Amino acid sequence: MTTLYKTFRRALTTKDGALLGSIFSPENPDRGTFAFSTNHERIRGDVEYEISGLTPLRDENTRAAWIDTLVCYWKIAYILERDDGADVSWAKAYEGQKDLLLVMVRGYTKGNWPHWTLPVMYQICLSLRTVAILSDDQARRLGKASEHLEDAARYINKAFTLCISDRAPIEESRKWGTYYIVNLMFKTYFKLNSVGLAKNILRVLPASLADMPPLEAFPKSHIVTFKYYCGVVSFLEEDYGNAQAHLTYALNHCKADSIRNKELILTYLIPTTMLTKHKLPTLELLSRFPRLATLFNPVCKTIKSGNLQAFDAALRHGEEEFVKRRIYLTLERTKDIAMRNLFRKVVLYQNEESRTKIPVRQFQIAMGLEADGDTVMRSTPERVEVEIEEVECLLANMIYKGLMKGYISRERQTVVLSGKEPFPGTVV
Amino acid sequence: MSAPPWRSGGTNGNNRNGAFHSVNSRKTLSGRPIHHDGTQTLTQNPAPEQTPKTQFPDKLKDYVARTFEDCPPDEKAAVELELKRIITDAFNEKVVWSLEWDKMPLPQTILARKKVTAKEEQTTKTLSMNRVSNETKASPASPFIRKPNYSNVMDVDYPGRKRKSAGSSEELTPPTPDRFEERFDKRPRQGDKFLPTSGKLSQREKDKRAKRFEDERREYLPDSATPEVPDNKKPLIGRCMDLEKRYFRLTSAPNPDHVRPLHVLEKTLEMLKRKWRSEANYSYICDQFKSLRQDLTVQHIKNDFVVTVYEIHARIALEKGDLGEYNQCQTQLHSLYREGFKGHEEEFKAYRILYLIHTCNRADMNELLANLTPADKEVKAIKHALEVRSVLAAGNFHRFFRLYLEAPAMGGYLMDSFVARERKAAMCMICKGYRPDIDIRFLTEELGFESDTDCVNFLCENEAADLIEQKSGDKGVPNSIRFQTAKALPLFERAKKAAFSKVDIKGQL
Repeated sequence: MTTLYKTFRRALTTKDGALLGSIFSPENPDRGTFAFSTNHERIRGDVEYEISGLTPLRDENTRAAWIDTLVCYWKIAYILERDDGADVSWAKAYEGQKDLLLVMVRGYTKGNWPHWTLPVMYQICLSLRTVAILSDDQARRLGKASEHLEDAARYINKAFTLCISDRAPIEESRKWGTYYIVNLMFKTYFKLNSVGLAKNILRVLPASLADMPPLEAFPKSHIVTFKYYCGVVSFLEEDYGNAQAHLTYALNHCKADSIRNKELILTYLIPTTMLTKHKLPTLELLSRFPRLATLFNPVCKTIKSGNLQAFDAALRHGEEEFVKRRIYLTLERTKDIAMRNLFRKVVLYQNEESRTKIPVRQFQIAMGLEADGDTVMRSTPERVEVEIEEVECLLANMIYKGLMKGYISRERQTVVLSGKEPFPGTVV
Repeated sequence: MSAPPWRSGGTNGNNRNGAFHSVNSRKTLSGRPIHHDGTQTLTQNPAPEQTPKTQFPDKLKDYVARTFEDCPPDEKAAVELELKRIITDAFNEKVVWSLEWDKMPLPQTILARKKVTAKEEQTTKTLSMNRVSNETKASPASPFIRKPNYSNVMDVDYPGRKRKSAGSSEELTPPTPDRFEERFDKRPRQGDKFLPTSGKLSQREKDKRAKRFEDERREYLPDSATPEVPDNKKPLIGRCMDLEKRYFRLTSAPNPDHVRPLHVLEKTLEMLKRKWRSEANYSYICDQFKSLRQDLTVQHIKNDFVVTVYEIHARIALEKGDLGEYNQCQTQLHSLYREGFKGHEEEFKAYRILYLIHTCNRADMNELLANLTPADKEVKAIKHALEVRSVLAAGNFHRFFRLYLEAPAMGGYLMDSFVARERKAAMCMICKGYRPDIDIRFLTEELGFESDTDCVNFLCENEAADLIEQKSGDKGVPNSIRFQTAKALPLFERAKKAAFSKVDIKGQL
């Protein structure tokens, strides 16, 4: 008897969902022996024989569904084993995975598969996605168009419906699988670059939330991932308030040692916090995540120093990476803080008594600072001259956004600053 | 000697032949199998007497070889079938030895020709594709002719009516007014219990409506109209030769009689370009372009010409500030460029950036930025659009209005759509930032107005007329018009909020 059958029997009798799920992974180490144990003619008969006599399979429909599932899995295993490594036709494997998913759906709808077998659903959806990506990659290498991943998203959606539409009492409901599947869908939609579809799920979900257990009752791993995706969707929609809440939750509940996940969460949480709370990440925080340090340090440094030219240069320098991670537009807006810091330094540079009335010209000089100079107010011949109207415009902008308190008197060409806290939130 | 080899041998050859023939005539979908030498197909004839041994002329063997030499695999079955038919016919006609096989067109060519003829034939025949019979061209008087299938139109024009199975005899005769009366009779009678007084009137009303509907239908559906059973696999080819056509939103499958084929559409575009230059009648041009686009779509045409059509329509729509129409074109262009068709992709990328600014669509903007190549960023128009985006993000209205005044190509028209709104936003900043008042001239310059008058008009439109005042110099000579900023802030805050809340997202990509 092939080990795979033994594992299957054990998993079913001990109700070990995780073990049962792992059987249907394309990575199952028993895949090879299983694939070569029989042939297309005999596979069904073999499976029927091997899994006969199991008590949990007394129900005719349940047994039939498991037989179909194992046969479908065998076909995939056969494709993967038969074709030599690089020659595997992933498109063919994808078709197999699709069949496997459909048989799985039937298992739940007709075959009365209990809720503890949910890991089987997880595994099958997961491998459908993996194989779809491999198939698309392969097609692209051959110069063909392939849309298997989009197709896969539609099929995973079936599993989603399977979860939320289960009417069984909550203790044994498939509803417990909802967030895992939703996360998988998010992941797929993000890979497909269609945030719109991701938003759709968030629109559908609340409707079925009413009869669902509270979020905290679900496995933490599901929830942290879910919160992360919610946060990213809010982030992309520029709903920074919600983004902050979701991402903070995700960060606080994230497993302590999963550096990679924390890094992903922080990639969005840091720009969000910079924008909403005008807070820069501490060096201590960045030192724990070297990748984030390289990503954010240059920009943070220029924000602190208030060197606008250097800020632009840092943004340009990291543009490709920022755009790829979809944080460019957000970081760009932190220039306000850099400018606030620069103007603040201009004010601090003045004599104590003349701090409430400052000529616009002073700000103009400061804005023209060259990129390399770190000393504020140093005037050099290579300065970038900014028109006085533009300086005024940006000052008005600062005042309008509440980063500065005061007003511009155009006739006198001066900025009249509030005597008390001209830069709210800073010590000045 | 007269029968082809696949007919010889086998005891019930006749039966097999029968089956073979019927399949043959159906598969080609040609309405009638066109014969290369003008003879009629002998589909009904049982095979003549068979001889056990058949011989082929060498030229025929070469012909067969040529046929399969460069035959694409997906067409192979059809070609094989056609080849069999040709050879069978040749045997039946006993011309197999006399025919000049080396001058004979290949089955592929014949098939291609048949497809075209099959389409053309539908001008005279109203048969649905799957009911093709073996009629010859000489008998156009099919019993089905001039009996349009009304079912499609009915479904649309008469709400509440259920679709009947197509092909029922009732469906083929136009409904008479009596039948409408009957149908409309029902509801008032049910309603009588509750509304006894309205019965008579509503009956007459409904009769009137029934009549009106019928008139409308006649108008849109000329007698020759022949809605076809849609065949999704094969794009239809139009046969309308008119250059002009009014746009009408299709409610049923397109009729090839009213669809213009590509070569006509090409002339149409030239004509429209001429007319736009000479007459500049936008409503006419837009209507014509929409019908032009529709004809392209229903015929599944996709090539560089299509790109040109959409580009020209997009530019005209931009010029007229018709952003809805522009966006439809842009959406199509986006996918056409992606499929590799050539046009002015860079120009339209720049427009797209500006359009995304207009719709405040940051998610798509992110996407677009991620897909820009370094080469794209060097293009003048794209550079300009990107700068517009970045200065707006920074709240730098000073630079924004400069960029507005120097927008390349049609970019200025697009910017028109959000300049008004950005002016209000800028006014908010100015009102908050400058105290106690500000020179009108300064506003004119900073907000990109063409004259002080325009600026004053803008202020008046925003109910800020009271806040404009004339200032006099030392000797009582008026030297400037000032605007009181502090008091105007709430006004412009409100205006800004209203301006940003409604953004056109029709057909959003």
